[in-house]
Amino acid sequence: MTTNACVLIIEGTNCEEEMKTALLEAGIPAEIVHLKQLTGDAPKEKQRKLSDYEILMLPGGWSAGDYVRAGAIFAARIKSRLMDDVKEFVDNGFLVGGICNGFQILTELGLLPAFEGIPDQPTAALTNNLNTNFQCRPSYLKHENKCAFTGRVGIGQVLQIPVAHGEGRLTFGEKDEKMLKELVENKQIIFRYCKPDGSGAEGVFPWNPNCSLYDIAGICNPERNVLGMMPHPERVINKIQNADWTRTGPNGPGDGRVFFESIAEYAKKF
Amino acid sequence: MSELYKKVTDKVFEISILQASDKELEQMLKERSLGLSLEEIKKIQGYFRKEKRNPTDVELEALSQAWSEHCCYKTSRPILERTVLDVKVECDPCIVSEDAAVVEFDDVYGYVVALESHNHPSALDPYGGASTGIGGILRDVLCMGGQPIALIDPIFFGPLDYPEEKLPAGTKHPRYLFSGVVSGIAAYGNRVGIPTVSGMVEFDESYVGNCLVNVGCIGMVRKDKIARSIAGGAGDVYILAGGKTGRDGIHGVTFASAELREESESDVPAVQLGYAIMKEPLMHACLEVNEKGLLTGMKDFGGGGLSCVSGEMAYSGGRGATVDLDKVSLKEENMHPWEIWVSESQERMMLSVKPGNVQKVLEIFDFWDVPAAAVGVVDDTKRIKAVYKGKTVLDFDLEFLIKGVRYQRPYKIIERREKDVEFKMPDLGESIKKVLGSPRVGSKEAVIRRYDHEVRGNTIIKPMQGVIGKQSHGDAAVLKPLKDSYKGLAISCSVNPQFCRLDPYWGAVAAVDELVRNLAAVNSMPHTLADCLNFANPEKPERLGELIRACDGLQYAATIFQTPYVSGNVSLYNEGTLGPVAPTPTLIGVGIVKDVRKAVTSDLKKPGNLIYIIGETKNELAGSEYYRMMGYATQGFVPKAEPHETLESVKALLAAMDDGLVKSCHDLSEGGLIVAAAEMAFGGDIGVALDVTHMNDMRTDYKIFSESNGRWLVEIEKKDKQAFEKQMPAAVKIGESIAEREIRITDGKNKTNLPLDELRDKWENAIQKEK
Repeated sequence: MTTNACVLIIEGTNCEEEMKTALLEAGIPAEIVHLKQLTGDAPKEKQRKLSDYEILMLPGGWSAGDYVRAGAIFAARIKSRLMDDVKEFVDNGFLVGGICNGFQILTELGLLPAFEGIPDQPTAALTNNLNTNFQCRPSYLKHENKCAFTGRVGIGQVLQIPVAHGEGRLTFGEKDEKMLKELVENKQIIFRYCKPDGSGAEGVFPWNPNCSLYDIAGICNPERNVLGMMPHPERVINKIQNADWTRTGPNGPGDGRVFFESIAEYAKKF
Repeated sequence: MSELYKKVTDKVFEISILQASDKELEQMLKERSLGLSLEEIKKIQGYFRKEKRNPTDVELEALSQAWSEHCCYKTSRPILERTVLDVKVECDPCIVSEDAAVVEFDDVYGYVVALESHNHPSALDPYGGASTGIGGILRDVLCMGGQPIALIDPIFFGPLDYPEEKLPAGTKHPRYLFSGVVSGIAAYGNRVGIPTVSGMVEFDESYVGNCLVNVGCIGMVRKDKIARSIAGGAGDVYILAGGKTGRDGIHGVTFASAELREESESDVPAVQLGYAIMKEPLMHACLEVNEKGLLTGMKDFGGGGLSCVSGEMAYSGGRGATVDLDKVSLKEENMHPWEIWVSESQERMMLSVKPGNVQKVLEIFDFWDVPAAAVGVVDDTKRIKAVYKGKTVLDFDLEFLIKGVRYQRPYKIIERREKDVEFKMPDLGESIKKVLGSPRVGSKEAVIRRYDHEVRGNTIIKPMQGVIGKQSHGDAAVLKPLKDSYKGLAISCSVNPQFCRLDPYWGAVAAVDELVRNLAAVNSMPHTLADCLNFANPEKPERLGELIRACDGLQYAATIFQTPYVSGNVSLYNEGTLGPVAPTPTLIGVGIVKDVRKAVTSDLKKPGNLIYIIGETKNELAGSEYYRMMGYATQGFVPKAEPHETLESVKALLAAMDDGLVKSCHDLSEGGLIVAAAEMAFGGDIGVALDVTHMNDMRTDYKIFSESNGRWLVEIEKKDKQAFEKQMPAAVKIGESIAEREIRITDGKNKTNLPLDELRDKWENAIQKEK
């Protein structure tokens, strides 16, 4: 059976094309699907079921404009119309990935960090970057722990992946310390911002572009099949998409490609 | 006054102009803010005498929009026709030029170019004005059937440290305008998911009363899918898709065609309201409709609203049309028909569709949750009509409405006497720090990082270049628009208003020369240009003279470079209570990159490489950042240009780049040689040692700060020395990259050594450091 990926959008999602391209280049059949196609609100020939897919990707963008808390409206629409399907999808061990706005949506949905199942209320937030500015810049990520999306990335490997967000600072509010301990113990931290040599960013700009807790850039759920991350691996599939390729040469994979190759490999078991 | 008005139907009045006296006419024009002159209303009087009736208020409002400078270019058109629209090229790559131009890219695809100003709205409401500027330019590309792929934003403000007490009443502080405009561009561009890849930020006192916000957009379209801005055929249906029509943006174009005054603040209703999250699905839907071949024409709602779009589509198609105002969906109740007709509410597109396809088109818009409705029918009458509550409230001969008026206004050309200034050379190190720390020269990172410049994943050369965490300015961005091809587009923009103020002709030539240099610096062949002519009140002869001289310069340079102006825009009346803006012919340029994998960036690659200068450095410091800083801004010689020589250099440089000989390259512009060298060193995070002794006989400060045109710095590996010198015999070796993080300048016995990090600190803090 071929594994299919659903790249889910609503109005204002805007990184779906490059997400689809990245999946296709890794050999994963992918299609862009509007939420209304999964909720029965589209013309019959356009309707889809979540159970048609094994991979659900929530790409970046400004869903519904993100005029309120980023990701909140997309999450609310999923919650009201599709949440049972999504829960079943996750329970079946299928993959759910959220990049940037997608990470914000997964957090709003409670799918991350989901310490003890999926709560009704979000337990974490991706809030304003500490310098209050939208940041579009390359960042370095250190791969801390493996999950279903990073099987082919070595532990400790450093990847150069760009960020482009204004609200990317992971926080648990006053529960920062307790929750961080839990994330670490569960090995749920997948990517941390670091310096080019792999040493810790230690909350320092620009290496940590938003001053997130413990330099966290991406986390997974305890079952390791749901991942959210702020940086955009789909933007750097080929080396010429990385920001400094003219210093080293144009040929070869971009640092984000291994992420999609990992998904493809994991998906072989479906 | 009331005796002129006679009620026709609900909210529609007939205005008795046929018998009115000049005084009554003038009074009426003023009361209604129509922006028409007495001469123009008399011409209108003549037309309605022939029609044997009085006009309605809807009709007068329509004429006021259609005949504004903004819509019909009544002053500028004759000048443009003999200059920028008359650049003779051997092989014209332009396929069609309407709201935007479509230009040959390869066998299958064309690229789309559009450039506009959004100056007056941004001066009043910087956030709203700038964001709707983005919205408008995206629609211009969209209506050609093009997928927007890149945005470009040249913006111009007064000095950020302008004293509050000197600000005239009603004028907003440059700091407020600057931050509002940048936020507005970011908010809209980032939300719609089109990368902002290029731009410029200029500061000058002349922009205090009237900031300039120019916006450009590049798109891609399959050549067999180009949409035209026409009404297809008789019987076709007009479908209005997108946002609702409201009272925002009423009289936007007449407002754009007058000077800004203290009372302009009350014109805020003339500023439209943008809504990016309507635009994003509107783009998807329009492109889908076009892809499926369901339309016969498409045009965006810009200045003049429904009036302009329905009239111009019909006129361009050689048709006529009737629009039913009751079918237009409104934001608010009780709007008057004339308001519906001229409202410039955002996010609206007009489609011309065969009757059999209307249902299919409406279904596509419905899928994307974008409101759409049939509002009119195309016919063969060559007239435009509007119906309200069953009654015809507007009925014009299209020729009369659209052709409008033209003026040959008096102009005066002022020749500047050039004279050098004598002064003792100040401390070189201190001068370098000051120039690098000036807002015009210093780092624009605080603006560039606010915009998503790589969404869509096609930005191969980004606006900031070099070692990560140490990146520096590049000359142009490079996009790879097609999945299966390494062919690319280089995008850049330019204008130096300091030069243009002193000499509009040579300033304009310099703008073209610099743009060509920028495009060549990343290894692209300059292909086409677009111009946005921001000038002051053309009713003043000296101001009009500036426009004419600048256009002459634009034509001269572009003809030599064989780069036609495929799209453009004129914005006049950029003049506030503090006087006129410096003449600002903003240009965007597109270059063709044969293979994006051979693109070159500005950052030094490694120590021990050779640095060459291409082009001649002359005593040309008028308008330079160095002279400005010294208080001699208006003295000295304005940089001239030798486009023939620049073009020869471009050809040789590109050949050397294709051979892989050029490791880095940077254009010399504001701040001259030293700024280019410093930026290259910042990006590479290594030092550079320059020896300018044998460059020429000028003083050291002239050598390093001159802003002569036609120049680049390049980095070459020692092993490639011979090969490079053979390719570019005119290049002069002036230094080496060094491991020590220092900038060293030697000129005979005169030696200056400056730590790189100290210079970087000045440069990074010039506007606002990223932290």
